[in-house]
Amino acid sequence: MPPTTIHVRPTGVPDETTPAVETHDLARLFRRSPALAGVTLRLEAGRAIAVLGPNGAGKTTLLRILATSLRPSFGMAAVDGIDVAEQPEEIRPRVAFLPHATGLYDDLSAAENLRFAAQLMGLPGPDRAGRVGAALDRVGLTADRDTRVSAFSAGMRRRLALGRLLLGHPRLVLLDEPYAALDAPGMALVDALLDEWRSAGATVLVATHADERLAARVDGWLRLVDGLLAEVGGKGASGEVMTGAALQPWSGALPEGSQP
Amino acid sequence: MTAVARHLAIARAIAAKDLRAELRGRQAVTSTLFLAALTLLIFGFALGPDRASLAAAGPGLLWLAVILSGVLAVGRLHQLEMEDGAFELLALYPVPRAAIYLGKAIGGLAAMLALGALVLPLTVVLYALDVASALPGLVLVIGLGALGFAAIGTLYAGLTVRLRAREVLLPLLLLPVVAPLLLAAVSATASLLAGDPLGELGAWLQLLIGYDMAMLLAGGLTYGLALEE
Repeated sequence: MPPTTIHVRPTGVPDETTPAVETHDLARLFRRSPALAGVTLRLEAGRAIAVLGPNGAGKTTLLRILATSLRPSFGMAAVDGIDVAEQPEEIRPRVAFLPHATGLYDDLSAAENLRFAAQLMGLPGPDRAGRVGAALDRVGLTADRDTRVSAFSAGMRRRLALGRLLLGHPRLVLLDEPYAALDAPGMALVDALLDEWRSAGATVLVATHADERLAARVDGWLRLVDGLLAEVGGKGASGEVMTGAALQPWSGALPEGSQP
Repeated sequence: MTAVARHLAIARAIAAKDLRAELRGRQAVTSTLFLAALTLLIFGFALGPDRASLAAAGPGLLWLAVILSGVLAVGRLHQLEMEDGAFELLALYPVPRAAIYLGKAIGGLAAMLALGALVLPLTVVLYALDVASALPGLVLVIGLGALGFAAIGTLYAGLTVRLRAREVLLPLLLLPVVAPLLLAAVSATASLLAGDPLGELGAWLQLLIGYDMAMLLAGGLTYGLALEE
């Protein structure tokens, strides 16, 4: 069956009054060290927002919490008004997540990887083959559909991982460094998909270092530094910005005089 | 689609994916089967050529070979998920945790049955066992033992797969928990081969069935913890 054209669309119309993403004092510790140290923000539905910041700022942690992959240590986070810690099973069908690692199975072919994902996403059998074919076509891997992923380059793996996001109709798309390992046409593909998701009404959060490339394509942006919200700007994003002393790196040492 | 049918469809998709990947990456399958054969050979050498002592040790060594290689097999099915962060994504699909567990456990069961199918004839040849009349019963015992081991092994492999020392921790944690299974399976096998002179076979089979059900229930209820980080 020839692949049909794929159109990204959300499962429903975003509710105007409910923010797509909302967090209050959101914190996540790894071995007592905070990756996120209390972030309060609000993102409007249907916007594309860049998440900027240096390495270790907490960008990936924020995305993983919203994807329900990590539980918050303190504070709360909600997607479409649903608490990520309380009802993660309600959030998962709404979210598409492109993590740093591609999550592909080396010994399966490109088509088998997507077919497996489609099965677990609950796509009905008759739709599955067409949707997988269309996704492979959209990311330029139709000719390699039966090639095992172990033979793929890093860029091809990234494309296939992007193809997996096209199988569903997400309300929230979370992209962690989507341009990594991609050549110029691959980067253009990410740009095009980003526009498609946004025009379909989905909210897109992109964690990246490629802020110049992204500047023209996002509605708003936020910048994290040391696990805190340092700046927020543009349309669709707002939050409690930390300044001055709060942004100093947390050393983990107790203040003088506080020792027993 | 009913909830049960949906669980089964997901489990089947996961098990089929695991087995396909495992059979294509033949190295792991070959080395697991090879370890089972090697275990039987080495113990055979250690026991010497005495036919009676070989036959007496046969049931115990059959199960030791299955379980020691089984630790590798169930561990391997989870390591597949760690190759490129697939375990994190597996946890994010909108599917019940119990269905993911069931899929992984079915993959583990298939691997354990393959091990049993290799180990049983090899034990018969190397340890001079007379299995002619006991064969249907032996197949049943191996099936029940494989199911119980796959059920608990899948849970423990999932719980340890993110740990750095997983290769060491999995056998350390798993082997004590499979002690009741080992006891029941070895006793049932020995009883079958001896023609059940003490009439105890039924009790051992009941213990195996109870163990399997308890471990499947424990896995279905707690495997979600393995998927959380």
